[in-house]
Amino acid sequence: MKHFNRVYLILIFGILYIPIITLIFFSFNSANSTAVFEGFSLRWYRELFSSPDTFEALRNTLILAISAATLSTVIGTAAAAGIYRMKSKLAKNAINSVTNIPMMNPDIVTGMSMMLFFVALVGILSIDYESIGFTAMLIAHTTFCLPYVILSVLPRVEDLGKSLTEAALDLGCTPIQSFFKVELPNILPGVISGFTMAFTLSLDDFVISYFVGSSNFQTLPLLIYSMTKKKVTPDMYALSTLIIITVFIFLVVSNVKSGKARRKESHK
Amino acid sequence: MSKLIELKGITKSFDGECVLNSINLYIRDGEFITLLGPSGCGKTTTLRIIGGFETADEGELYFDGHEISDVPPHKRQVNTVFQKYALFPHLNVYENIAFPLRMKKFSEEDIKTRVTDMLKMVALVGFENKSVSTLSGGQQQRVAIARALVSHPKVLLLDEPLGALDLKLRKDMQNELKTIQKAIGITFIYVTHDQEEALSMSDTVVVMADGEIQQIGTPTDIYNEPKNAFVADFIGESNIVDGIMLEDKRVRMSGHTFTCVDGGYAKNEPVDVVVRPEDVDVVKPEDGMLTGIVTNVTFKGVHYEIIVDIGGFKWMIQSTDYVAPDEKIGLFIEPDAIHIMKKSKYSGMFGDYSSFSDEIDQLSDADTAEEF
Ligand SMILES: Nc1ncnc2c1ncn2[C@@H]1O[C@H](COP(=O)(O)OP(=O)(O)OP(=O)(O)O)[C@@H](O)[C@H]1O
Ligand SMILES: [Mg+2]
Repeated sequence: MKHFNRVYLILIFGILYIPIITLIFFSFNSANSTAVFEGFSLRWYRELFSSPDTFEALRNTLILAISAATLSTVIGTAAAAGIYRMKSKLAKNAINSVTNIPMMNPDIVTGMSMMLFFVALVGILSIDYESIGFTAMLIAHTTFCLPYVILSVLPRVEDLGKSLTEAALDLGCTPIQSFFKVELPNILPGVISGFTMAFTLSLDDFVISYFVGSSNFQTLPLLIYSMTKKKVTPDMYALSTLIIITVFIFLVVSNVKSGKARRKESHK
Repeated sequence: MSKLIELKGITKSFDGECVLNSINLYIRDGEFITLLGPSGCGKTTTLRIIGGFETADEGELYFDGHEISDVPPHKRQVNTVFQKYALFPHLNVYENIAFPLRMKKFSEEDIKTRVTDMLKMVALVGFENKSVSTLSGGQQQRVAIARALVSHPKVLLLDEPLGALDLKLRKDMQNELKTIQKAIGITFIYVTHDQEEALSMSDTVVVMADGEIQQIGTPTDIYNEPKNAFVADFIGESNIVDGIMLEDKRVRMSGHTFTCVDGGYAKNEPVDVVVRPEDVDVVKPEDGMLTGIVTNVTFKGVHYEIIVDIGGFKWMIQSTDYVAPDEKIGLFIEPDAIHIMKKSKYSGMFGDYSSFSDEIDQLSDADTAEEF
């Protein structure tokens, strides 16, 4: 039984990670071949960075992910605080279900409806779709990130309860001050994990971006997709490797951070 | 001493249920006033209305002569020590106490002197950098008091601040609180459901039940002259007997006519008569005003607690002399030990100790039943 467990574990990890390792391995191949390893080189990385398209797509993706994550974190945190304070249970439930719709909806439906909306908007305002490229993407990404932020912040707000806020008000804080001085520091772990989630979701998104994106605002997933339509070249391996490493670092950092926060909390 | 806070006809309902029913109360400057009553009688709600966390449905609230119903909590000159302390977990002891001063934009120097003074007062010097979550209940409590007092509010509201502490610490903190209040001379509005605490600490006690004020008075007044059966029963032990006021200073109860010191009732008016257990003397049956059979004797350390059946009504008597169960004894009551109260909706609900021995009977019944 013990042996079986071990074999099973190795198998699972193998299936999960061997393809990734292969990809990383071949990104350092000096040859153009995707099958035979001929020697170590950084050729594909050089090629990748010399292509202006890739660079711009990377920049776009990061700018979009950071702005969408920031925007949805701000709106989502405010929304969670607001939902918690709502007096009517009915309204509370209604708002909760409405915010969850974009999360339950298949991406393809969300993407299509977003596209329709922006096309109509462009029509009404009689402007170029290109001219609202980034704005459209930002709105779309913020929208589908929002429920995840609310989902990670709301339980924190509920755990915190009203007593600390009341104590802050009692001691002379205005409601705004009490939010920033007392509530926010105490719900921060939820806010950070909401931001992280939003950031990765936006980074990762293909389907919705595919519908909403315009030719002058390409993100990495869109670029990779359009490139693979022609021919898969090893510079795509290099790109993927960089993404994997970034995500890995991001994960390690955020895990260490939340581990520290948890240790701090368990002191109580 | 002038009226600092005044509640006029304060009424509050939650979900259609009346929690406070027309509360009228004033609080003088520098007074230690206690709201006392059983769980759920509306003490916390009253406090929260004064603190500004709840608005009354009806009625007015005055502070220093101004109506403050619409003033938000952060602009009221009252601070609260909450039932669960509500210390800020992300700040250390020093920063918790400094918090209200930072809000009021005090200079760093002033903050340091004031916080240090407070730490001295609550005996927490050396704890400045500790996280509040590592403190014991009593220490957290003192941080909460220091935090509430550091900005010199005019009034301190305390909601069962000692509720979570053990008996010994409770007694120490009671003294400490009283000393602090005397030393800085501010008004304390204190909430508790512990009658001993209320009597020993307060200048004025407000007895509440079912969202209404039953009686307001000094601790001695409340104890010696309870207004109705509820107050008599809630504060200390009382025998509450139906009586008829024959005329001024003469009351008839349990088949005997007693001389008392109260008057001002109508001829033959039905009344509630209160006799405290410690005011009854045990005498020989032939010397007694009343006679009865002892049904239960419990040793309480200082005295014996004796339950006596007098014509079906069970009295509690405290006596330093032992009497045996089933013994026939006489009771002697001095005129000034008899307190007369008007009939109220609480008449007949309290002050009979028959449930006392019944409970024990039931318990022993259950015990024997289990053995079979
Ligand atoms: N926010 C609220 N919503 C609904 N009902 C409430 C609310 N706050 C208090 N109540 C009700 O009002 C009544 C009085 O509550 P309150 O907290 O004032 O009692 P209390 O005298 O402080 O009792 P305790 O000694 O148990 O603290 C209770 O029946 C309680 O259930
Ligand atoms: Mg309470």
